[in-house]
Amino acid sequence: MKTIRFSLAGLLLTALFLPLELASAQKKKGPVKSAGEEEYYKILTFTPPEGAVVEGGAIEVLPDGRVAVGTRRGEIWMLENAYDTDPKNAKWTRFAHGLHEVLGLSWKDGWLYVTQRPDVTRIKDSKGTGKADTFECITDGWEINGDYHEYAFGSRFDKDGNIWITLCLTGSFNSSSKFRGWAGKVTKDGKFVPTTSGVRSPGGIGMNAEGEVFYTDNQGPWNGTCHLKHVKEGGFVGHPDSFKWYTDPAAQYLGAAPMVPKSGSRIVTEAKRIPQLIPPVVSFPYGIMGQSASGVECDLSEGKFGPFAKQLFVGDQTHSTLMRCFIEKVNGRYQGVCFPFKAGFGSGVVPVRQGKDGSMFVGSTNRGWGSRGPKPFAVERLTWTGKVPFEIKEMRAKPDGFELVFTKPADAATAGDPKSYAMSCYTYIYQGAYGSPVVDRTTPEVTKATVSPDGLSVRLEVKGIVEGNIHELTSKGVKSKDSEGLLHTEAYYTLNQIPKE
Amino acid sequence: MIRYVFVTGLVVALISSLATAKSPIVAGFERFHADGSPRGGRLLATELGCVNCHTSGDKTLLVKQGPILTEVGSRVRVSWLRKYLSDPHATKPGTTMPHVLANDPDAKDKVEALVHLLASTASAKHDRAKGAAAGRDLYGKVGCVACHGPRDASGKEGTLLPSSVPLGDLVSKYTLPGLTKFLQNPAHTRPSGRMPKLLDDKMAADVASYLLQGQKMGVQGGTGTTGYKYYQGSWDRLPDFSKLTPAGEGVASGIELAVATRDSDYAVIFEGYFEIKKEGKYSFVLNSDDGSKLYIDGKLVVDNDLIHAPVAKRGETELKVGVHSARIEFFQGGGGAELTATINGPGVKNRPLGDLLSATKDTVGKSTVAKGIEGDDITIDPALVEKGKGVFASAGCASCHTLAVKGKPIESGRKGEALVKLSEGKGCLSDRPGMGVPVYGLSDAQKKALASAIKALPEVKASKEVIAETMTVFNCYACHARDKVGGVQPDLDKAFQTVQPEMGDEGRLPPPLDGAGAKLQADYLNQILNNGAHHRPYMHTRMPGFGGAVPAPFVAALKESDKLPAIAEVKFADPIGKVKSQARYLSGGTAFGCIKCHTFNGKKAEGVQGIDMTLMPQRLERDWFHAYIANPQAVRPGTRMPASFVLGKSVLPDVLDGTAVQQIEALWIYLKDGATAQAPAGMTGGKYIPLVPTTTAILYRNFIEGAGARAIAVGYPEKMHLAFDANGLRLAMIWQGDFMNAGRHWTDRGVGYEPPAGDNIVRLHSGVPFAVLKSVEEVWPTDDVRKLGWRFRGYTLDDKERPTFRYALGEIEVQDLPLPEVKGKATSLKRTFSLTAPAGTQEITYRAAVSNKIEPVGDGAFKVDGTWTIKATSARVRKSAGKDELIVPVSFKDGKATFAVEYVW
Repeated sequence: MKTIRFSLAGLLLTALFLPLELASAQKKKGPVKSAGEEEYYKILTFTPPEGAVVEGGAIEVLPDGRVAVGTRRGEIWMLENAYDTDPKNAKWTRFAHGLHEVLGLSWKDGWLYVTQRPDVTRIKDSKGTGKADTFECITDGWEINGDYHEYAFGSRFDKDGNIWITLCLTGSFNSSSKFRGWAGKVTKDGKFVPTTSGVRSPGGIGMNAEGEVFYTDNQGPWNGTCHLKHVKEGGFVGHPDSFKWYTDPAAQYLGAAPMVPKSGSRIVTEAKRIPQLIPPVVSFPYGIMGQSASGVECDLSEGKFGPFAKQLFVGDQTHSTLMRCFIEKVNGRYQGVCFPFKAGFGSGVVPVRQGKDGSMFVGSTNRGWGSRGPKPFAVERLTWTGKVPFEIKEMRAKPDGFELVFTKPADAATAGDPKSYAMSCYTYIYQGAYGSPVVDRTTPEVTKATVSPDGLSVRLEVKGIVEGNIHELTSKGVKSKDSEGLLHTEAYYTLNQIPKE
Repeated sequence: MIRYVFVTGLVVALISSLATAKSPIVAGFERFHADGSPRGGRLLATELGCVNCHTSGDKTLLVKQGPILTEVGSRVRVSWLRKYLSDPHATKPGTTMPHVLANDPDAKDKVEALVHLLASTASAKHDRAKGAAAGRDLYGKVGCVACHGPRDASGKEGTLLPSSVPLGDLVSKYTLPGLTKFLQNPAHTRPSGRMPKLLDDKMAADVASYLLQGQKMGVQGGTGTTGYKYYQGSWDRLPDFSKLTPAGEGVASGIELAVATRDSDYAVIFEGYFEIKKEGKYSFVLNSDDGSKLYIDGKLVVDNDLIHAPVAKRGETELKVGVHSARIEFFQGGGGAELTATINGPGVKNRPLGDLLSATKDTVGKSTVAKGIEGDDITIDPALVEKGKGVFASAGCASCHTLAVKGKPIESGRKGEALVKLSEGKGCLSDRPGMGVPVYGLSDAQKKALASAIKALPEVKASKEVIAETMTVFNCYACHARDKVGGVQPDLDKAFQTVQPEMGDEGRLPPPLDGAGAKLQADYLNQILNNGAHHRPYMHTRMPGFGGAVPAPFVAALKESDKLPAIAEVKFADPIGKVKSQARYLSGGTAFGCIKCHTFNGKKAEGVQGIDMTLMPQRLERDWFHAYIANPQAVRPGTRMPASFVLGKSVLPDVLDGTAVQQIEALWIYLKDGATAQAPAGMTGGKYIPLVPTTTAILYRNFIEGAGARAIAVGYPEKMHLAFDANGLRLAMIWQGDFMNAGRHWTDRGVGYEPPAGDNIVRLHSGVPFAVLKSVEEVWPTDDVRKLGWRFRGYTLDDKERPTFRYALGEIEVQDLPLPEVKGKATSLKRTFSLTAPAGTQEITYRAAVSNKIEPVGDGAFKVDGTWTIKATSARVRKSAGKDELIVPVSFKDGKATFAVEYVW
């Protein structure tokens, strides 16, 4: 009863305050912490030692069962018994201190590789005291000038032994220090190779099951909202202030800088003009699917984390959530969909790392950037209860609409009824000014829904899909064979390209 | 013959004026009614003053009065009055004033009579322009541009939008004190509020100076003037002026960059003389962007050369009693341009130097000659003044303008037919207006609009209509949108800027007024409509004040049309004090974190500085406060304000009853206490996090003042500490006492550099630590350490976590172990170096100290600058590049070398 009253009030407000065009978008609240999420995924909260401030910036899982947490204060904490069902049994030890904002950790051959502001340093406990005593700078191929926004995020090792780095712009607006606004790799022999320009303000970096690198970038100039972007050698991912470093010897192998994009355009329009420009793989509608996208982690547990094998889980600092992304390749480029997944983390989510048992370790902080999660920081673990929620597992683009794949068989009558679905379509301006309003709104219509014989998928024929825009699908009417509604009814597909077949 | 020529001349003038005349520009008409709709006609009826002659029974019309002319002689120049009255449309294209003497054969005489009348109202005052650069900045940023369109660096009109209200040739029109006074209080002259007050007194003076740049004042020396030479060219430092030819020269008002005729790539020399009455030491501060130099009596006193952001440099010199010369050289590359010079000394406290200078030696101490402007001389003829009064009445000037003579306003002798009795195509609307008919130069659309409006004047009754018409008339739409109408026009979007770019559009654009009636309290609306406001400190623009001109029905209509569901009274189980205490917790850093983005009674927030929390209950309606905090995105799409409630439930379910309504009401009650409320939890303090080494060393890597962005500070339990610069590969500082305060970097976003927390700080030299010198005379390499190939390799920690720093040049590797030493009361820091190098490496030199004065004091010790001591065996002092250098030769044996230096301070 209460819920209904609230949404009515919401509608009323909407009608009063919003231009009609926007009204339909705003009916929806942000990703809702449904009463049901806990039934499928549970958050376990670790308690750091008295006085310790563990603002998670990076997490790594060690082969010996320990879990390393790097912090904004430059410490690295080791957790033993981290997989215990009672998080109180975890034992905390400070492994290192005195590092500069740790935002990347990767373990190899007894060394912990730390990505910090000015460099990548590998550290080791060579005497077996439980504390790191050897700190070797591996690369410092980029520069910092004392601006707090010049963060460096580092990935884990890829299959070739590289660590991938994203470098935030100076003040998140300009590239005043070398390779600010770039992504690149640190090779085995300690060379920093800049590979990709156009980065603005990253929040995390990770890899998908194929080992391709993805990072999140945040709403601001040249980013109408927050995105998941693909890091490709020779690519340009949106913000042109980074172009000045194409002439640096380390980047000269990439050739000349791309054409400067036209401010006020749309990113897919510019991508047709500028061959290097790679549009975002997934755009997260601002204020709905978070406001500060962060860590990226792929579920490689082969089922230990539930039915979403090989999908990407992306954190959001402001909303203190994990979102779920399914991506596919269309015409050789990645694009895909995001779904709400889990809300209610203790503070603003930054790093996400899958443990050996499939559970996800999540670090969070709200220092300087407010978050919905009320604590100043938290270290948590998200575990699967073993129950399968009724969810849209995959959403795939089709020439005339979309295909949905469910986690459990759907009821043919409701899933086959076009009226069970509603769609809204929009995008953001690609511009040098900060952010963007929602623009180009249309309302495509689901004209036909054909359920597969096993009930696990449905083909939606949609009139009015628009290349380049976010397609927001609401599937309120769909029920499972056991008459459950979807745990999350919303999906947001970034349709950069419409497949030909 | 004479008569014939005269008439022909008039006809020619008339035809040419019709051909070039621009129709009157009424912003709201051009932007919203350019199609000539009846509503546009209603708008013109007030804005062109139609209803001032042709009365209407419609009491809702927002009648516009013309400028009050009672003191016009003090602000408007005589030459301009003459030109403007002779042909308003040619003189000020777009003016809404009709040419009332257009077809009058005696126009010339009547104009002269009016000029004498107007000039007799007050005498013009003059002043030197100051602050044009600040005025330019303000004009672009605070909102002038929204109505009047862009202007270039010299203050000239840029490319206007169709709806920009043109200002015409202000330099010819206004005197500086006149325009300043007008901008300080526009309502005094224009009581109908079409020009609101946007600027405080100082800002108004600056903007007036900017707008009137280039006005030739006839300054001829005297105190407050300089002789200037202006050059054009592109430089990255001050050029050799002796090789250049000036593009302009003359006498300037003090030190004023307005003498430049463009924004970038120029240089200026200002020269002048000043008198010193007391002998002594005088200091000069020269602040500039880009470079500048100050010479006193030909001697360089302040060197502030090169391209840079505004930087102040100081210099001093002894001055004897008498007249001295000053020369300021300045150049501007691109971007901002700024130049100020101040003098401080016996009897002169931080005075702008420009105020004391005189352009020539013989005018020192004399008052500035700035009497008037060429062409403005007039000897008032009482007979003409008397005649002017008659014209003012008969031509109908008095129908729109008030002009009081001896306190008595001149009455208009002209009355038009009532508006309803007029007909299309006649009178002012005629294509060929007859004798005595005011000529407006109306466009076809304007004629069409007025014709339909006089047929049937559209009514303004419903709240929606009242709001729309008020917002059109007062051009609120230039900044604010409502119901998808209006808002900042795309071409002007860039002018709206913020001090906090991270806030996005919310931080720079005036808010849309949708729902404003439900949001803001009536009293607050009235207050800001009348007086203006700058309650959004992050936004450069601000709400202008209309000085009571916006009529009451506007606020009433807003309140009437914007309504929210009422929130019923909220009852709490806890006593009210406890409710407020819970709200204080909720707003604090460990709960909703309001303090991260909102100031509280002027106390700074942690991140962006949003609207002050204590202002909220003074501005907002309670119902709106509830609705907004419960779901910010629904009320303000795209806002950066995070939601703390999901489906009515708080993320902090244990506070009060956990519902949105209780928690929000508690916040409301708490904030209503305003300045007397205790600041939210975590708002004060929290910036002090001392790092205290007790048993082991503490490493602190961060931005450290004096040691760079890649600094590694090490604190030792012995209370001796150091900061190593991992980019410069040098020991940057050593100090004693407290180690570091991590508060700056470990709270909020960690902005800026933090200096050591202790004292007795010794700052050490920079430059590459080791070099191979070919001879004893060879100057130490000055290239960047990294450019020379040196790299930081990391460090190892001993059992007390004390680091040995490692750095290398190819195969030459250095291990650098600093350790505190305590022998009784004697303390020192000893640095042991261990080097390895490829076989065959002979010798390398270490530079242990660089300073103005290094003296050996025996026992391998050297006193540096007489303040601290460094011990280094086999070191020697050499003079190089004007400094003393302490050099330590290091010899390798089997590819290895070891040596130590010790700091005692």
